[in-house]
Amino acid sequence: MHPIDWGVVVLYLGYVVWDGLRRARGTTDIEGYFLANRSLPWWAVGLSVMATQLSAITLIGTTGQGATDGLRFVQFYFGLPIAMVILGVTLVPFLHRAKVYTAYEYLERRFDARTRTLTSLLFLISRGLSCGVIISAPAVVLSAVMGWPLAWCVALIGVPTVLYTVVGGVQAVTWADVKQMGVILGAVLAMVVVLVTRIPVPLDDALAVAGAAGRLRAFDFSFSLEDPYTLWSGIIGGTFLMLSYFGTDQSQVQRYLAAKSVDEARSSLLMSAYWKIPLQALILLLGVLVFLFQVFTVGPLYHNPAHERAMRASAPAVYDTLQAEYTVVTTARAAAARAAAAAHGAGDAAATAAALDDYRAREREAGVIRARALDAAGAVVAGPTRDVNYVIPRFVRDHLPIGLVGLFFAAVLAAAMSSIAAELNALSTATVVDFYRRFARRDGDDAHYLTMSKWATAVWGAVACVVALYAATLGSLIEVVNRFGSFFYGSILGVFLLAMWPRARARGAFVGLIAGMATVGAVNLFAPRVAFLWHNVIGAVAVVAVGALLSLGARERAAA
Amino acid sequence: MPRTVRETFVRVLAVQVVTLLLLWWLQRHYGT
Repeated sequence: MHPIDWGVVVLYLGYVVWDGLRRARGTTDIEGYFLANRSLPWWAVGLSVMATQLSAITLIGTTGQGATDGLRFVQFYFGLPIAMVILGVTLVPFLHRAKVYTAYEYLERRFDARTRTLTSLLFLISRGLSCGVIISAPAVVLSAVMGWPLAWCVALIGVPTVLYTVVGGVQAVTWADVKQMGVILGAVLAMVVVLVTRIPVPLDDALAVAGAAGRLRAFDFSFSLEDPYTLWSGIIGGTFLMLSYFGTDQSQVQRYLAAKSVDEARSSLLMSAYWKIPLQALILLLGVLVFLFQVFTVGPLYHNPAHERAMRASAPAVYDTLQAEYTVVTTARAAAARAAAAAHGAGDAAATAAALDDYRAREREAGVIRARALDAAGAVVAGPTRDVNYVIPRFVRDHLPIGLVGLFFAAVLAAAMSSIAAELNALSTATVVDFYRRFARRDGDDAHYLTMSKWATAVWGAVACVVALYAATLGSLIEVVNRFGSFFYGSILGVFLLAMWPRARARGAFVGLIAGMATVGAVNLFAPRVAFLWHNVIGAVAVVAVGALLSLGARERAAA
Repeated sequence: MPRTVRETFVRVLAVQVVTLLLLWWLQRHYGT
């Protein structure tokens, strides 16, 4: 990386840490440390909510998905605006007026201590692990693309984040999120502008090629429980997932509990309701533009440079043959794409259709060679060879101008850090408020709890970094963590839905929670092809059904 | 920021409709 790019990254890291440490002043109790004394403006909280959700996996993985699979992933977010409006009129006023520190604390007031303890424990286990995955995913990619040692990449992301989160608490997390969101948006917009100017044909004609390659298909109206990205799974499953995530996950709930008032908390969530789908469409479109750039200028055989190095070292003859075949086919593909673009520009429909047919045939041939190349690499590196996450970082390293490379990597760090900081802050809150203050020491003063909160943040930060190092070597761990989350996410939402029904009773909520998780476990076991978005719907419905039946039964027994 | 739930809902819906129409147009116009 050029020294100027390094300068951009160092400048970003230095500013975020300095600003975070500065925010520590005046924080003398845990209400200030965890909730900023409920004083933050809606726009800062709103940007923090968006930055927390947008992790480095989004910036690297979703753009890569745009390049390889097109716009259809946008359907995943179709339920988000609906969920935000529902939360704005239901859970947000409930939680904000209850003056709680954690969402689970509210469950003890409404039901009993065991429901609170179980939900908080599930949050701690899943978020503690997922925090490691959020560090690991970009660290692995940075390590492979830039050739840096993995431990250094984990430290580059983890250490500054832990530092400003420990010292500054929620004030540092929120105000860092505001700046990080700015860095991310700046990098995405700059890359879109650069790509539009670098693609060698007019954008209108280039998009005709993207359309022919199926990259502009945003809507899939088919109904399938097995396909994760359809309009229906996005609207129905997505609404339940977003209700669970924004309504019951402490890493998000804590963002809006820090807002000045119920109205400001509501407004902060509405910022995502307005802008999440347009932002996600822009990020996917960035991936489509990278795909077009590689079609017109001949992209690499391997997006992951580690695969390329391994093949060159272990099977040079196979590599040379595959590379030569790929160059011939992709050169022909580029010629066909240019012919199609020229015909489209000239308004010649018949010539455009013929050239696009030729382009599709070359695209299929290139796909076959890439599949063979990935199989060959899989045999050499003895691990997974899916390289979607490497498409964008590789393009950035090889093609972006000096300065923008640094800005992109600063944006990746910003996206990772903003998510990790919010999660560490939330993990610390749940540890101290839901466990330490209830089970270990009930009579401590504020100074004591503040010290313990800082220690809890540091310990969770260390756990996340260690998990990140292990997750990097065990590729399947990431999937295990994601599946583990989907086991109970919908079930916890079900408990909160029950909480809003005045007739619901504590026993119904607790047994319902267990039944919900067992139902999702059974679906996972006996119908493993059901897409994970539906798990949230199944879990929530099972909890509400079992909880409601038991609560009604309890009332009847009491009446008798 | 908007005051009533209905007004808020209509505004959120309007932004989404514009975005989705744009995506729909991209799919229809360039899809073959």
